[in-house]
Amino acid sequence: MNTKTMLTKVLSALAISIVLVTACGGAATPETIIQTQVVKETQVVTVRETQVVEVTVAPEPTQALPTGEGEPLLAGVDKKFDGVTLKAAFIGGGQYEKMYESIPDWEAATGAKVEIVYKGDGFQIDQKLKTDFAAGTADYDVVWDHTSFFSQYVDFLEPLEGYFSPAELADFSPAILDGSTTDGHLWLIPRHADISVIHYRKDLFDDAKNQADFKAAYGYDLKPPETWKEVYDQAEFFTGKLPGMYGTEFAGKEEALTGRFYEILKANGGNYFDENWKPIFNNEIGVATAEFFRDLYKNKLVPADTTSLLWDGVANNFCQGNVAVHNEWFGWYAYFQDPNNCKVAGQFDLVRQPVGLSGSIHSGWAGAHAFSINKTSQNKEAAAALIKFLTSEKVMYEEAKLGFLPVRDSVWKRMIADSASSSNPLDKKRLEIAQTAIANDFFTPPLIAEWIPFSNIFYPTLQAIILGDVEPKEGLDQAAEETFQLMEEAGYYNK
Amino acid sequence: MNLSQVSASKAAAAVTVRRRQSARLPGRFISGMIAPSMLVILFVVVFPLVYSLYLSFTSYTLLKPVTNWVGLRNYIRLFSDDVFWLAFGNTLLYLFVTINLEYLFGLFLSQLLARTVRGQSILRTLLMIPMMFAPVLVGFQFRWFFNDQVGLVNNLLMQFGLISQTIPWLVERATAMFAVGVADIWMNTPVMTIILLAGTLSLPRELYEAAEVDGASGWQKFIHITYPLLAPFTTIAMTIRSLDVARGFDIVSIMTGGGPAHRTELLWTHVHRTAILDAKFALGSAMSYLTIIVTIGFTLYLFRQLLKARLVE
Repeated sequence: MNTKTMLTKVLSALAISIVLVTACGGAATPETIIQTQVVKETQVVTVRETQVVEVTVAPEPTQALPTGEGEPLLAGVDKKFDGVTLKAAFIGGGQYEKMYESIPDWEAATGAKVEIVYKGDGFQIDQKLKTDFAAGTADYDVVWDHTSFFSQYVDFLEPLEGYFSPAELADFSPAILDGSTTDGHLWLIPRHADISVIHYRKDLFDDAKNQADFKAAYGYDLKPPETWKEVYDQAEFFTGKLPGMYGTEFAGKEEALTGRFYEILKANGGNYFDENWKPIFNNEIGVATAEFFRDLYKNKLVPADTTSLLWDGVANNFCQGNVAVHNEWFGWYAYFQDPNNCKVAGQFDLVRQPVGLSGSIHSGWAGAHAFSINKTSQNKEAAAALIKFLTSEKVMYEEAKLGFLPVRDSVWKRMIADSASSSNPLDKKRLEIAQTAIANDFFTPPLIAEWIPFSNIFYPTLQAIILGDVEPKEGLDQAAEETFQLMEEAGYYNK
Repeated sequence: MNLSQVSASKAAAAVTVRRRQSARLPGRFISGMIAPSMLVILFVVVFPLVYSLYLSFTSYTLLKPVTNWVGLRNYIRLFSDDVFWLAFGNTLLYLFVTINLEYLFGLFLSQLLARTVRGQSILRTLLMIPMMFAPVLVGFQFRWFFNDQVGLVNNLLMQFGLISQTIPWLVERATAMFAVGVADIWMNTPVMTIILLAGTLSLPRELYEAAEVDGASGWQKFIHITYPLLAPFTTIAMTIRSLDVARGFDIVSIMTGGGPAHRTELLWTHVHRTAILDAKFALGSAMSYLTIIVTIGFTLYLFRQLLKARLVE
């Protein structure tokens, strides 16, 4: 073999191995697992009027159920699981970690062990679950899950209605349980929920000069925004009022941008899909919504690097006092109120999400962090017990004190009672706004496996519209065409 | 044939067989020795390659891992995938610009180092520091440098009064690719420098002495001796770096994620998005194979250049 041939072969092999590193995955054959039966009763329910699904219902609990009075109750600690080791993949970092400090208590009560084998942010867990499920290497018993993600993996999850009785679920918010259910099966047990809410700089809104100037410029009073048009006006007014100040902002990439667009699209009376899952976001309402985002950027009312920002980036901007009106999750409340972290601690107020062009629909993009059980788990009963413990009244109450919105009525009662004695009136007001929003405005993204792939088509197009690379109508038409192809291939139009 | 002839013939045959056996033994031994590593390569390298090639002709997705044969559908789709071709073009542009700048900086630094008399080893060690960072860390570091509001670059430019408004480095079409390129160049110029320095130090001194006798200037010596004789080293360095850059993922993924609006999308960020985030593993495999074909072509081209350079030498 001459030098040229040898070198060519060696380099070719090298090139192939280098280039294919990311493309090579293990063979995926989901294992067939004999499911542990813990079912005592079988019910037949009708789903979407056409499909009959058999669901199993767990036995009634032997423990007392939470009422929100007296000492908060634990759950999932009435059975022993000696010798069982549960593997878990959980969201990690920041305030999410606090909950895991309670796990040794569950281990002591049940004799089981919990090994958290993976921690990451939500998007990292989503990627890991997808690849591990496909490769058949997802050996976790309990996984962190989310209402935006779970529809992708229902083939790999254990339906939970056989492990949680109606009585045990009665304390959970029905809207959130609905957002955790598809085709008659419950796939998630929620840990905490969140819904978007407008944060505004009370000090700036209360300023007499600002009020007079605003009225002179826009012809109506400066007050907490009730419509997205008012948000736009206020953003325009406050931009540049202080050095480096922007009127408003939004998370500008990935599913965060798709969701922010979604909630204003809905408030404007639009939607991403019609009842037959055909894309309709390129209609007049969609174009108007896209123009709203484009104009905010084009007129420099949002930071110039908006399309690079995710949740932590926008929260930090508000925290540093650089944004006047900020669309954010309730979950950041404790962080924003900590003067050690935030310059705006004590200087902001909250108001329910505005209505859009519809005149009556409030924005209210919502979701819940939750737990699921892997279908291939060999310890499903123990896994269910761990989830019961982590979502029990006591553990949820402790986590709610960090600022997260609870998903149990009993914990809501406790939080409202606590806030009544708080020196900060916003502590109470916040919970009232959250309750109103959850009751009236709560909507999750469509519970379909194609949500994230759709988002990956949609958000770069919306970014292109925002940055002025393409006109709103043209961009949305293009995204709608790609979305149609996505849904067609997924079989939505063959039914 | 008499008995003695038969015996002799048998003896000769036996000797031949023994010789053949003894000749074969080393071959078997060698085969036995390399078999384990060949098996490992078969399972670790060849099997995944062949399997992913097979998957590229199916409808396999991570969430519906069923291998329905769809023929060339995934490959045909790529030809109408605008983002794929945008990423393809971005990758070529990124590769062309970063490789050439890394080469120019590397060549310059290598010539300075070659002439350094004192502290050369310390300088070489210092120069290699960027190579010691994981690309992910470099990505985070430069993402902060180029941050619109709290980034080092904007702050410095404002301090010196060169700008009055911050520049959204990671957003604008030209500056986003520039910022990613700067990170890559910072990290990988030392690779070029080390290879070219090794080449420079290995060049025969006689040629330079003869040129000095003829009164050649430093520039003339560089242009007529150093530069041409470094051609093989240049080609090796360019080949290694080209393959590195062509599979570029970490830095751009951390700094921009291929965005915004696909402005910094490279082939591998797009493959990652398609195969993992969108779970379209079969389509992602098809993208990978199309990329491989181009990469192999590029590699062959570079090696032809290497051979040409050797002939010149």
